[in-house]
Amino acid sequence: MVSANPTGSPLERYEAMTAAAAPVYAAWRTPERPRIDVAIDTSSLANGARATRDAITAVVAQTNAAVDLGQNHGYGMQWLQPLVTVTFPDGASVVYGPITAAEATTIVDIATGRVPATSTLAVGTIAGERAGIPSLREHPFFALEPATGRRLIHRLGFTDPENMQHYLATGGYHAAARMLDRHQSPAQVRQELIDSALGGRGGGNFPAGTKWNFLATAPGDEHYVICNADEGDPGAWVNRVIMEGDPHLLVEGLLIAAYATGSRGGFIYIRDEYPLAIARMEQAVREAEAAGLLGDGILGTGVNLELRVIRGAGAYVCGEETGLISSIQDSRGMPRVKPPFPAGSGVFFKPSNVNNVETYANAPMVIEHGAQWYIEYGTERMRGTRLFSFSGDIQRVGFMEVPFGVPLAGVIDACGGMLPGQQLKAIQSGGPLGSMLPAREVPNLSMENAPFSALDALMGGGGIVFLGDQVCTIHMAEMFAQFVEEESCGRCTTCHGGNQRQTEIIRRTIAGDGRREDRHNLALVDRTLQFSNCVHGQFSPKIVRNTLRFFSDEYERHSSGRTCDALECEGLIQFRVTNQRDPQLAEAQAICPTAAIVGAPGNRSVNDALCIRCGACTDVAPNALVREAKPATPRILALS
Amino acid sequence: MPLETESRAQIRALIADLRPDHGDLLAALHRVQHEYGFLSREAMEVVGEQLHLFAAQVFGAASYYEEFRFDPPAAVDIRWCSGPACRARNGGGIRDAMLATLAVPMDGQTADGRVGIRLGQCIGTCELAPQIWIEERATHTNEVVGNLNAAQAVRLARALRDGATAREVLGQDVLRG
Repeated sequence: MVSANPTGSPLERYEAMTAAAAPVYAAWRTPERPRIDVAIDTSSLANGARATRDAITAVVAQTNAAVDLGQNHGYGMQWLQPLVTVTFPDGASVVYGPITAAEATTIVDIATGRVPATSTLAVGTIAGERAGIPSLREHPFFALEPATGRRLIHRLGFTDPENMQHYLATGGYHAAARMLDRHQSPAQVRQELIDSALGGRGGGNFPAGTKWNFLATAPGDEHYVICNADEGDPGAWVNRVIMEGDPHLLVEGLLIAAYATGSRGGFIYIRDEYPLAIARMEQAVREAEAAGLLGDGILGTGVNLELRVIRGAGAYVCGEETGLISSIQDSRGMPRVKPPFPAGSGVFFKPSNVNNVETYANAPMVIEHGAQWYIEYGTERMRGTRLFSFSGDIQRVGFMEVPFGVPLAGVIDACGGMLPGQQLKAIQSGGPLGSMLPAREVPNLSMENAPFSALDALMGGGGIVFLGDQVCTIHMAEMFAQFVEEESCGRCTTCHGGNQRQTEIIRRTIAGDGRREDRHNLALVDRTLQFSNCVHGQFSPKIVRNTLRFFSDEYERHSSGRTCDALECEGLIQFRVTNQRDPQLAEAQAICPTAAIVGAPGNRSVNDALCIRCGACTDVAPNALVREAKPATPRILALS
Repeated sequence: MPLETESRAQIRALIADLRPDHGDLLAALHRVQHEYGFLSREAMEVVGEQLHLFAAQVFGAASYYEEFRFDPPAAVDIRWCSGPACRARNGGGIRDAMLATLAVPMDGQTADGRVGIRLGQCIGTCELAPQIWIEERATHTNEVVGNLNAAQAVRLARALRDGATAREVLGQDVLRG
């Protein structure tokens, strides 16, 4: 725990804190005994990091090995989780992965030197050198990251995210302390932000400095800064990475924003699905308060800031700023009509500013290094770097920090390309209110808003999902249509009614009952949805619109051809027994959850009325049954 | 004001430090649900008294959110991830297989209250797609089961339905069948 230093100027107080933190961190970087750090983050935990850590702890205890144990955050290489870093007394750090409980002994032996560091599990070095192990930076996954190293997430893997002293010793809170030391007035801070052209990272790219100006010049002296950490887009987890990997960075960003806008209160609204991020942010806020970096009289100045972490409860539309504000103040998190914008009337009807996690987290480095340094990377329209999370049918699932404007084709290469046997079919970006683009547009796309907008698409908040050719885009469109329908707050009839119609039509199509007038009706629903009051309703038909435009052939194959070439859409496929003699067929019969495989051995068949197309039978007996297109049934002309 | 019973006093103690007009409602509801597993009518009344809100306002707000529930939860909940990376790998088939095995609708639970299945939102562990989470109420455990196929989902749901604990199904044997 870092405690407040009672005297001196803000910088002197800050330096007293870092003077105490520096040796702690130096000893962590170059420890006396080897140390094993297991990455503890949501991704590693899902991959079994807890079991890995327990196993390593047990081996160390049994063998009485002279090693210490610690933790860090993963580097973004999620396909290699659980990641483990071994730091040797000479300061060299080697990353290994994936390390399950079975590899615990090997890792301990590597740390103690009984086994050479060059194991097949070694991924790369992050500090120092080890013969035979390449630097982690040389891994193709990092090919697009800034040549001079990561900027926003440079601490990930190099610090213990739950240790404030590590943050302080690596330059943390220096930007805020120097700012409070009166080297910069609030107006200067805002100007620096404007010069850096830091745009809103939620996807809108609205200049953060300009937005801060609105709040700073708003009437009254009770202003609030609000951090939108309700990262609800499926496939996007970049905000979680910041909060779990470097929580004090967000606290410092909010402190800078509060100072620049004259705010004395702040909220960090985190989605319920991120318990580790909530715990780490709450701890960071408590630690910063104890150190005198939050609360009353920050670093001995007259600046006050009370930060609170609010835990959401599972409502996608709370990611819309007025919905989020409504959710904070004890009511249903329903968006309202704007204006008034939050800078006019925000939380508790006081002027407020809402920004995304990543937007605030960028502020410390803009203030520390200046706008000129910040704009070294990126494009004319979008400055700096940003975090992206990549998932889907690619070899390397994870997150990286890349300058705006890098080509999408390069991203696919960095992610190792598609899984064996798969071709890229579609790029899904921007979440359920975002877009779906075909693989043929890849050469035209780079990681910034403009090329996406040109295609009536949205790059969005950082999540990109690459879909292979085994995926049916109509089926995927149905998933997003259902999502936006369920998450509509219900205030606008256009939105809750329109999305019901949209989902109904798509669902009927994948059930094999597409109609000729559907396309026209979907366009009508789309136009009607534009009259919704918030972006949820306005953007909700986007994916369906994209699908009809870019995957028009596939749509027509479903609608009038009644065929799903990807063999996904329930109403257009069937399962059939192809090999009565396959011994696994009995297993398939036993696994079927609806007992749809009927008949005695030698005469088994699939009862189509009972079959739910889950695929459990072909999972256990891939050579006994087949998933195939359903033969077209004659339709009664009068009804079609 | 209704009679102060022992159970009301316990709920009140749980949220004693929370205040009206302070943005404390979500925190209050989370605390109650963490302790009791769901929000009872009584709990929502006490929360309302504490925060100077009508019980109807508390229910109105609480019912907006996916996470809050108003009936006792199942002993073990299967959370099915609805994200795109999971859907791209037969996530829908896994859902349907589990619903059919348990003979319950989404967000429902078996008649004996042993197993429930609930919609989950993407948490960004898509390297494990398609996946589910096993949440056990008694131990507050939450374990991800990834790289699942429909057959494994059926085995897992059957084992839970037939009395296996979360710990038992998380062992690989159940998944292998």
